[in-house]
Amino acid sequence: MSSDFSFRGYTRRVARSVVDAMVPRWPELDADLTDAVLEQVEDFARNYPPFIRFGVMVMLYGLEFSGPFVRDGLRPTSFLDREAATRRLEKVADHRIPQIRMMVMLPKIMVSFSAYSRPEVEAFLGADRRAWRANRKAFREVLIQLDERRAADPPVPAPLVGDAVRPEDYLRFERT
Amino acid sequence: MIDGIIQPHDTRGDLRLECDVVVVGSGAGGATAAAVLAEAGLRVIVLEEGGWYPTEEFSANIPEMLGKLMRGGASTVMVGRSPVPYLEGRCVGGTTVVNGGMCWRTPEKVLDTWVRERGLAHLAPKALEPHFDAVESAIDARYQDPGSEGGVNDRFKAGADALGWKLSRNKRNQRHCVGSNDCVTGCPTGAKRSTAESWLPRFYAAGGRLFTHFKVERVRTRQGRATGLAGTILDPVGARRFTVEARAVVLSCGAIQTPLLLQRNKLCKPCGHVGRHFTIHPNIKMAARFDTPVDSLRGTHQAWQCMEFGDEGILMAPGAIPLAFMSAIFPSFGPRLAERLRDYRYIATGGILVDDHAEGRIRALPFGVPYIRYDVTDVDQSKFVRAAALMAELYFAAGANEVYTPFHHLPVIGGPDDIAKLYAHPPRVEDTEYFTAHLMGTCRMSAHPRGGVVDPNGETWDVSGLYVADAGTMPGTIGVNPQVTIMALARLIAVRLADRLGRKVPAKIAQVAGHAAA
Ligand SMILES: Cc1cc2nc3c(=O)[nH]c(=O)nc-3n(C[C@H](O)[C@H](O)[C@H](O)COP(=O)(O)OP(=O)(O)OC[C@H]3O[C@@H](n4cnc5c(N)ncnc54)[C@H](O)[C@@H]3O)c2cc1C
Ligand code: SF4
Repeated sequence: MSSDFSFRGYTRRVARSVVDAMVPRWPELDADLTDAVLEQVEDFARNYPPFIRFGVMVMLYGLEFSGPFVRDGLRPTSFLDREAATRRLEKVADHRIPQIRMMVMLPKIMVSFSAYSRPEVEAFLGADRRAWRANRKAFREVLIQLDERRAADPPVPAPLVGDAVRPEDYLRFERT
Repeated sequence: MIDGIIQPHDTRGDLRLECDVVVVGSGAGGATAAAVLAEAGLRVIVLEEGGWYPTEEFSANIPEMLGKLMRGGASTVMVGRSPVPYLEGRCVGGTTVVNGGMCWRTPEKVLDTWVRERGLAHLAPKALEPHFDAVESAIDARYQDPGSEGGVNDRFKAGADALGWKLSRNKRNQRHCVGSNDCVTGCPTGAKRSTAESWLPRFYAAGGRLFTHFKVERVRTRQGRATGLAGTILDPVGARRFTVEARAVVLSCGAIQTPLLLQRNKLCKPCGHVGRHFTIHPNIKMAARFDTPVDSLRGTHQAWQCMEFGDEGILMAPGAIPLAFMSAIFPSFGPRLAERLRDYRYIATGGILVDDHAEGRIRALPFGVPYIRYDVTDVDQSKFVRAAALMAELYFAAGANEVYTPFHHLPVIGGPDDIAKLYAHPPRVEDTEYFTAHLMGTCRMSAHPRGGVVDPNGETWDVSGLYVADAGTMPGTIGVNPQVTIMALARLIAVRLADRLGRKVPAKIAQVAGHAAA
């Protein structure tokens, strides 16, 4: 069951700076994703068990104070500008000691899953999943209707479609 | 109540239930066992910790679906030389709702080993054949509709064909998988025949009842015999308690949750095997960039597997995944990752699975914290290095211009000549990113009380009337995707249990209403 967890106070500042350093940006895409992704990251954390949430906090604070580990000064990461923060986190991610690299692992997954599943990002990169899913559902309905005309299914493991659809058309369904 | 599904809002107060058999978990093992037992005429209840989500509720919102369908919102990771993230379904249908749908029988040579070295004669290939037949028919283990494969699978096949490497066509539990490439967050088209769409409807039709949001915490015993269960109803309005009395208890919580439950109840300690012999088929992800669009959005998750190096314990396969999951397989983030994924449409993804020889361990720590440890060995790592080199060769043979690895010191292989670098400076376990989806062996079946947790009937050696029917019972690693093995073993266990409780499973093999039986 999800909790009512959210990042508060200084922790919110720390989390936001990590998200801000990790979200993707493209000059052609006019969207600042930081705050929307931060909310999604909170949603993720809400579903995590308390000990994993604690682990996320440890990693976020580890990144906040990671300067000395990567010879990047003492300033906390959330006091750096975005480019400098990104550079610092990249140094952490490239560190030769695996335990230090691990600090970016979970935050990176949370941010990437959130950012790259946003509709505007998917559409920008040519992965319009929502439209594709709608297309596939409609196409499958057509196949199911074709099945209903048949007395019985072919036994497993035979494919169901038979020669009702040409293979070259299977992934190219246009709704009429 | 919908069909046979009872949700928290259908009941009030604390509950006391009674039945012949209570099954915990509705995934590959639990749903299969429950359906077989109910069809034999027994009064069966399934208790499932997760919720029930019909196909219409599988949305395109990935974070939301991970929260609904996966344990811990998909945050699960095991510790070891390199941490290994893993996924466990937690919903009606268990992990079969979020899996890739590949269906492979246990290889005969593996079964022969179980017979020869572990004395499990009833697992001989011939003896298991009726169970495999029944399972495959029940879940529609079929080849893909031709044309549904898509670019990720086509590129992989082109590479294997160019090198003359043997490919095997996957059977998948699906009816018209139309290649939406969304298997991991619940099939949005209704094509995938998870247990929620295959075994469980049969269970309900036979009079079985499934309770959602029932988290089992206690196994009740009297004089060394299991008598029932107790736990919490995770009702959003307020937690409540339940108890169940039954003639037999079947634990099908999966290879991690079942041993944790046994350990928390201090059960089956004398055998000393609970939570041990944990195997995971560790895998690594690879990707390759091509000059022409691959369009991994379109096409099924995995249509083929390359078995050419199966004798070395190496299995290579394409694996189409949504953009968000693809973003997670690259070690970078921010601008670096954004630049890489500009080429999203040109990138194909795949995976390498190694038939592992290490054994991990699961332990219940205080305050409900699980300790899950698995150390990839150097022997298995050398297989990964060889497999990554082979996979790179395959992608270059298919026309790739760059190949991406999960190795920190060599994330990009720029061309065929660079492959040798992998061997020149082999990446260490600590510098490799792994993943696993196959969790097995933690309550293994054995012919002798000192050899494992359950006997050949699936009953625990130490507590009578207490059975295990999930991935944990597998006596060893199998080198292929496990759901068909899990279901076949669960069916075998259920048939024997029904017999013991005085019922016979109907002779016809697993006929799905309106479908031809195998
Ligand atoms: C991403 C992914 C892809 C995969 N792809 C494939 C594939 O293509 N082919 C294949 O063969 N295998 C695949 N697998 C593996 C396969 O799905 C699993 O091995 C299989 O489902 C495990 O079956 P099980 O019965 O052991 O457990 P599960 O299917 O995980 O079911 C366990 C159930 O028990 C419930 N439960 C646990 N504890 C409790 C409790 N205390 N109280 C009540 N309920 C509880 C859980 O909520 C869950 O629903 C994949 C797995 C993953 C994660
Ligand atoms: S590829 Fe899409 S249609 Fe096919 S089984 Fe997976 S989710 Fe369902």
